[in-house]
Amino acid sequence: MIQEKFMRKNEISGEELSQMFFAGAASLSNHASKVDALNVFPVPDGDTGTNMNLTMTSGISELKKQSSHHAGKVSQSLAKGLLMGARGNSGVILSQLFRGFSKAVAEDESVTAEKLALALSQGVTMAYEAVMKPVEGTILTVAKDAAVGAMQAVRQTNDIVQVMKIVLDTAEQSLARTPELLPILKEVGVVDSGGQGLVYIYTGFYQALLGNMPETSPHETMTPEQFQEDRAQIHLKTEDIEFGYCTEFIVKRNMAIPFHQGSFREKMSQFGDSLLVVADDEWVKIHIHSEHPGEVLNFGQKFGELIGIKIENMRDQHAHIVSEDLDKAGNSAEELSESPILPFGIVAVGMGDGISDILKSLGANQIVEGGQSMNPSTEDLIQAAQQLQAEHIIFLPNNKNIILAAEQAGKILGTPATVIPTRSIPQGMAALLAFQLEESAETNKQLMIDAISAVKSGQVTYAVRDTKLEQLDIREGDFLGLFEGEIIVSGQAAMEVGKELLSRMIDENTEIITILYGEGITETESEEFLNELQEAYPEIEIELHRGGQPLYAFIFSVE
Amino acid sequence: MIKIVTDSTADIPKEVAEQWDIHILPLKVLIDGETYLDGVTITPSAFFEKLENASSFPSTSQPSPVEFAEKYQEILDKHGEDTQIISIHLSSALSGTYQSARLGANLLETKANIHVLDSKKAAYFLGMMVVEAAKAAKNGMSVDQCMELIHKMMKEQEEFFVLDTLTYLQKGGRIGKAQAIVGTLLNVKPILSLNEAGEVFPFEKVRGKKKAITRILDECKQYAGEEKVIASVLYGLNRPEAEELRDRLIEEFMIQEITLTEIGPVIGAHVGPQALGVLMYKP
Repeated sequence: MIQEKFMRKNEISGEELSQMFFAGAASLSNHASKVDALNVFPVPDGDTGTNMNLTMTSGISELKKQSSHHAGKVSQSLAKGLLMGARGNSGVILSQLFRGFSKAVAEDESVTAEKLALALSQGVTMAYEAVMKPVEGTILTVAKDAAVGAMQAVRQTNDIVQVMKIVLDTAEQSLARTPELLPILKEVGVVDSGGQGLVYIYTGFYQALLGNMPETSPHETMTPEQFQEDRAQIHLKTEDIEFGYCTEFIVKRNMAIPFHQGSFREKMSQFGDSLLVVADDEWVKIHIHSEHPGEVLNFGQKFGELIGIKIENMRDQHAHIVSEDLDKAGNSAEELSESPILPFGIVAVGMGDGISDILKSLGANQIVEGGQSMNPSTEDLIQAAQQLQAEHIIFLPNNKNIILAAEQAGKILGTPATVIPTRSIPQGMAALLAFQLEESAETNKQLMIDAISAVKSGQVTYAVRDTKLEQLDIREGDFLGLFEGEIIVSGQAAMEVGKELLSRMIDENTEIITILYGEGITETESEEFLNELQEAYPEIEIELHRGGQPLYAFIFSVE
Repeated sequence: MIKIVTDSTADIPKEVAEQWDIHILPLKVLIDGETYLDGVTITPSAFFEKLENASSFPSTSQPSPVEFAEKYQEILDKHGEDTQIISIHLSSALSGTYQSARLGANLLETKANIHVLDSKKAAYFLGMMVVEAAKAAKNGMSVDQCMELIHKMMKEQEEFFVLDTLTYLQKGGRIGKAQAIVGTLLNVKPILSLNEAGEVFPFEKVRGKKKAITRILDECKQYAGEEKVIASVLYGLNRPEAEELRDRLIEEFMIQEITLTEIGPVIGAHVGPQALGVLMYKP
């Protein structure tokens, strides 16, 4: 039981604030998969939790670099990291909430309850500004209600713990109301996923104020620093690697066997280098570079069950990294000498080697890997744009969840940039075709936006869980036909669903259908599908291409 | 008396040229090491067949100033020194033919009677205005009236090429490298037109030939409205396709007169054997 006197705080230091941020991130990280599961559609885009978590992780790693205990500086570091790592709509909104927050406390050494409420409110203002058409019943509403709660609370009390409690309570109540505001949530029977993510963050904040730092689960993904550490080995020669296998796993401890972290670590260190041992009561996470991963695992297994085993051959990886880097160096040197500055550089997002080739053939200069459930971050987009020597950058997000990140990238980039709000690969293709090199950025924006409306997009994917949606009774594993993002057909075979979906997309003005088949479909299957369609629609030109995209059996463009 | 001179790139069929007494100077076409006189020693279809198997891109050369001078002199000798000559040629942005014609006219003493014009056009987009000017001249119109007609057509007529492939344009180096890459994987049909300077410009890129044709017909409809038009369909080795398009034009427009014309080697080398052209003018 926590005593009243410990719970009262009129002010928090920058150090305490940063503890709150760490705790918020940890709380979110521990529940990320739960947030993913709240996604409204049964299509495999359950990535809100993943996106928010990756965004937050980026914020935290920036925060770790900050040595100052000044509340303003601490917030600024978090905000900067969030901004650079922002992924998906919820991630971008999250970054804006804390950007506003950090601006409000920029000059403050420490934060009072009143300042906290003000900072939360400014965050909300900034987030609403960032979103073109704010939708209520989402993370925005939850953040707004919580901020309003905070503003009301500071009229009654100057206790920051009390205020944070009210923030958390109002956020939870607001979250519970989201199905009333967004009909689709009600239909599926869930609360908003982004809003839920925010509630987990606030939970962490409140717990930190109470002095309870949540533990991060052992499933924690590799931090960016660790990743960079690996990349740093580019400077080595492949044959110089002494311990060839990067080995990571978790021991779920058998409680009957005594475990002492110190001696465990010591014994482990004999197997190789770069050793990391993180343990709590039940779990031990191990990361080691070793020449004999088998022996490492055998040793670990003495203490319990092994899970999450990941072994990578670093010599092989390294050879790839080095050759990639050489390729890059070769390319950029060539680009620099051949073409000084392009009037336009087009950065398009797409998943699948076939799609990437098609986008390039239509004039995209850089392809950023990503799409449904793999949203690239603002930073990914910025990096791609910076690789182009162009006077003006055009972003084609090709997915509704990437539009905001692209807009964010456009603002930070420093080079004039236009975001064409393409929501699908077909829209991206149409926009690329409409692009005219000789025209101004303004004219091109108009041409490309006009072109989007002339193309219809369809997708065939599969259901990740059972759902009832209007007249459709969907079972996990069923194929789903989406028309402009809405599920309109379902069934057990991809081809059947594809045919039914197309029959709904086609009208008397249809002249050309483009089919991009995904990685789950064979060439033979796709050709069979094409033949059947050609028989059914002899008047329409039908083009078949391998897209190589994951998750989507087919992507259709109907014009 | 008015006499009309043009060059072989106007793609005017022989019988039409004879009917309206149009004088045509051939450009030279060099393909696979052999030189031909456009429309005289090589037909468009023979050329396209060679083009498809040619090892290198064909080149062309304009008639020399002397050839022009000789042609003008021949007309003046035959019809009298006071004969007015209107000499209309391939866009100066695409070829030196117009320049050559002007130099040729300057070689003569009676240059006051020779009016050399840069049509800013190519293929039958040039040809139709030549034919219309020749008709006007035969119907007794003055030089000024004929010239006015030509300038009006130059300004007003609608003209488009739908290309089947960018390959030929690319090989000929008539489009920037960046533009050339566009659409090599997908079935992209570039629509080309000519601008006021007589340069070829990419009007739009469209997926599929059907869509491309619909697109240019939409553009033509905006121009023609419900009014009567004269029109032409230009083709290479794809006559059946051109006939189909002609029938569609007859159905959808108030056609006063429509012709089918073969695209000659000079332009054909760039647009390729499967290109289609549409030309429309409200007389």
